[in-house]
Amino acid sequence: MLKLHNLSRVYQTDDVETMALNNVNIEIAQGEFVAIMGPSGCGKSTLLNTIGMLDTPSSGEYWFNGEDVSGYSEAQLAVIRKQSIGFIFQNFNLIDELTVAENIELALLYHDIPASERKQRVSTVMDKVGIAHRAKHMPSQLSGGQQQRVAVARAVVGDQKMILADEPTGNLDSGHGQEVMEMLQALNDEGTTIVMVTHSPAHADYAKRTINLFDGHVVTESVKAA
Amino acid sequence: MFKNYLITAWRNIIKNGVFSAINIFGLSIALMSCILIMLFVKEEMGFDKWLKDNDRLVRMHTAYTMPDRAPFLTVRSAGRMMEAIRDYAKNEIETGVRLIQWSLTVRKDDNAFDEAITLADGSFFDVFDLPFVHGSRATSFNQPMNLLVTEEFAKKYFGRTDVIGETLTVCCVGRNPPSDVRITGVLKDLPDETHLNINMLFYLQPALFPPNNNILDTWTSVNVYTYFKLNAGITPMQLQERIDYWMNNESPLVEMSKDLLGEQSNGMQVTDFARQPVMKVTDLHLNAKKHAGNIGDITPMGDQEMINTFTVVAFLVLMIACINFMNLSTAKASKRAKEVAMRKVLGASRLQVAIQFLSEAIVIVFVALLFAIAASELVLPIYNDILGKQLALRLFNEPDLLLSLIVVATVVGIGAGIYPAIYLSRFLPGHILKSSKSGESGNSAKLRSVLVVFQFTTSIVLVIATLVVYGQTLYSNSVDVGYQSDNKLVLNVRPARENLPSLKQELLNIPEITSVTFSSEAPTQDNENNNQFTLLGTGEDGKKVEPALLNYHNMDYGFFEAYKVQPIAGRLFDENYGSDQMTSVESDTIEPGQASVILNESALTKLGFSSAEEVIGRTLLLGEQQLNVIGVIPDIHFRSIKFGIRASAYMLNSDRFQVANLTVNSELLNSDKSAEIISKIEQVWKTNVPLQPINLQFLSEMMQAQYQDELTTAQLFLAFSVLAIIIACLGLYGLSAFTVERRTKEIGIRKVMGASVKDIVKLLIWQFSKPVALANIIAWPIAAYAMLTWLESFPYRIDQVWLIPICLSVGTLSLFIAWFTVGTNAAKVARKNPISSLRYE
Ligand SMILES: Nc1ncnc2c1ncn2[C@@H]1O[C@H](COP(=O)(O)OP(=O)(O)OP(=O)(O)O)[C@@H](O)[C@H]1O
Ligand SMILES: [Mg+2]
Repeated sequence: MLKLHNLSRVYQTDDVETMALNNVNIEIAQGEFVAIMGPSGCGKSTLLNTIGMLDTPSSGEYWFNGEDVSGYSEAQLAVIRKQSIGFIFQNFNLIDELTVAENIELALLYHDIPASERKQRVSTVMDKVGIAHRAKHMPSQLSGGQQQRVAVARAVVGDQKMILADEPTGNLDSGHGQEVMEMLQALNDEGTTIVMVTHSPAHADYAKRTINLFDGHVVTESVKAA
Repeated sequence: MFKNYLITAWRNIIKNGVFSAINIFGLSIALMSCILIMLFVKEEMGFDKWLKDNDRLVRMHTAYTMPDRAPFLTVRSAGRMMEAIRDYAKNEIETGVRLIQWSLTVRKDDNAFDEAITLADGSFFDVFDLPFVHGSRATSFNQPMNLLVTEEFAKKYFGRTDVIGETLTVCCVGRNPPSDVRITGVLKDLPDETHLNINMLFYLQPALFPPNNNILDTWTSVNVYTYFKLNAGITPMQLQERIDYWMNNESPLVEMSKDLLGEQSNGMQVTDFARQPVMKVTDLHLNAKKHAGNIGDITPMGDQEMINTFTVVAFLVLMIACINFMNLSTAKASKRAKEVAMRKVLGASRLQVAIQFLSEAIVIVFVALLFAIAASELVLPIYNDILGKQLALRLFNEPDLLLSLIVVATVVGIGAGIYPAIYLSRFLPGHILKSSKSGESGNSAKLRSVLVVFQFTTSIVLVIATLVVYGQTLYSNSVDVGYQSDNKLVLNVRPARENLPSLKQELLNIPEITSVTFSSEAPTQDNENNNQFTLLGTGEDGKKVEPALLNYHNMDYGFFEAYKVQPIAGRLFDENYGSDQMTSVESDTIEPGQASVILNESALTKLGFSSAEEVIGRTLLLGEQQLNVIGVIPDIHFRSIKFGIRASAYMLNSDRFQVANLTVNSELLNSDKSAEIISKIEQVWKTNVPLQPINLQFLSEMMQAQYQDELTTAQLFLAFSVLAIIIACLGLYGLSAFTVERRTKEIGIRKVMGASVKDIVKLLIWQFSKPVALANIIAWPIAAYAMLTWLESFPYRIDQVWLIPICLSVGTLSLFIAWFTVGTNAAKVARKNPISSLRYE
């Protein structure tokens, strides 16, 4: 599905140059569940953002579904992003002024989907993640776990083929963390590709493959025995 | 403590660069508008306030409202009224004075100048206590034909002011031949702020006028200006009641009206058709216009309505700037919530916090005031140019002006700061520090939207009103007057009455001049001559026609041809018939005079005719003259179109000729050659009319001048409205900047969800379009209603349909401006990498 080739990302600040990713080579196939691990500051988020096309690499190639997107414009990337990629963040990133349903609908808003169908899909996905009874609530009225479920719903409502999750359980207690992981597991079983950053070896265990990063390099890749 | 407030206030202003800049800039512009308008209003309202005992001085006007006649209003009055009323109303009136305003020619060496003179009763200085520079009222103004001049006048003729004993040759006072008059005193120049027009002041000698003259010895011809000085403690109203009583019961008008009106006067009082309204001298400049329908003052008259309008505009512009301050302060509140909370934790009371914010507002306003004063100084020369005034900002010589500015600034500061102060000081420290929430409530955001709607509604109403005023002014200027006014020069030939034929011949010898024709008035001039014309025989319907009051002019052969006016029936004056010209009737004959008259269409209607052909050949009786109707011309706008069309008669009486209408061949007048032509005309004048000043004008300029006042008002109005819109947009810019900042995270999330830059900009623009669109919807009907009402007072006005494109284009423009303002802010954030937006908390 995607392939990074000698990909680097350099952050240029006033006087320091940070090599957040250094010649990374990764290939991820359709339907995989990949966990990315590594110490704080090693470049996990940068990698995920680059895969998610929220960030552009400084050098190297990024092949997505057979196209090299590394030179694509912001607008072109926005199109691929909204069609194929869903995001889940550690801090949920829901819009405080919108209801749960509206937050989920947001992911469809920038597609050409008629309002009635949007409503339909939002309610289906809300049922699926079990927050239908909270549809009219504001994010601030929900617990962290519920908020993350909304975020998951938002990530998949557009039938995205791939979900990128940056420490989705980082702000949750173990019970709620477990729930979210099971939800991701279920999505993966349905064929969705999942790339997840996590600090928790237990949650990494849900993945079929784990990539270990250190200082911007891929150190080890381990595949779970089937 | 106070100093601490100021220092904190100042630091905050510095710290919040953009916010402060927008506020200071907006307030500066608003205060500048305010200062400029204030200067103008103060000068206009201050007219004649410098006169001693001004609260006791009144002028008596005249209003004739006869049945079946157009009302005749003037600020003058009849010559005999002053003494009669003064002697009758002894309890109310201390003294009175009549002024006669004339123009005459003053000769000095080889030069001649037209001068406006004033003839005044000996009581002049009992009413107007004007200061002398040389001489005194006891020595300089104690017998008829004493002459006082102003310093300025003295300097013009003699280069110095001590000119007592000098003589001037004048022509002519009364019916006298040219004579030498001795200057007996010099008056201090009058301030600009007066309705009086005094350069040369003669002690009036009634003997100069023959008995039964229509100036002094008349109850009904209005040719003098009458002033009274009231006794202390008497109000103008009291005098008015006394005058009304006299008019109805004791005055000669009681008998005269019975004679004049016959049956019609039954059951009516004199004051039902002839009134002598009095007005305080200090009100004359702005309000005399109401009483001056037909003949007004010589000095340009002000307009109370315009003063009121401008005062309202100044107030609105200030409001708009204040709203900016309120909106930006409360929008920014989230950023200062923590500061407030910390201050409260450290022991500040709510009042202290409020005072701190208030002092910040006041400091900002005062900084803006300094800028505004500087900007006013810069703009004043242009402003004066437009207004034709000599306004100056003399803050230190006029402490009341300085004081009023300080008061305005303080009020504005409090007005702008009070809401933010109350709002910000209300934050509860515990709540804010714990939740790290902004403390922004939905209500304050709503209030901001309401205020933005108000700002834009106001601005949009102002702009629409301005455009309508402007459009109407341009339209008035462009209406087809019905005659060709191009390439015309108007020469005053009054001083050349004796040698008109030779003057005409020599003017025609100038190759560039294609026609010369005389008339009693040129277009734009009006002498208010009206007379009763009686149709002999019966009207179209076979019934007797009531005498009609027609406005009349006299013009020479070739006048209508020169102005390219074609008759719709009959013919124009023609020398070949030999019967058109009116000759005066000898008093000892009983034969009526025979002459011709041309009517305009309105006169035709007034005489009860529907067909122009029908009236040709009929006879109108005017005094001793039998006038044969030879032609009918279309209604032409002899005067400014704002006066509408009058039923008019045109006759040919060469005794009445006052001006020559010169037509110049067209290519030349618009080029540099016009100076050459003018000098040729001057040459002809000098040889034919020696020792008389020439008075030559371009007709196009005379026509332009009729609309100049309106145009000036419209231009000023436009300028201030544009300023109002600019200030409102500044506010919108600031507000959108803060909103965008507040919504940064949301924008990031939306981008992650696939929103493009365009989507984001659209989203924000829509948010700000709503209040502007709403403002339009509110503003349109208000503006439309107001302007349709305003337009009603014009006999010729722009089509009402014009309001639609004006409203729509102002609406579109306001949206475009709002979009542009918001769009620049929105695009900046929308283009940002969403990840950096999301990291922002
Ligand atoms: N916008 C930026 N500008 C400059 N440096 C950055 C920027 N974003 C990240 N970095 C640097 O790049 C490196 C990688 O950061 P990244 O956020 O990818 O780490 P991470 O592995 O996700 O860490 P964590 O586990 O704490 O989330 C770090 O050294 C970080 O300081
Ligand atoms: Mg990270």
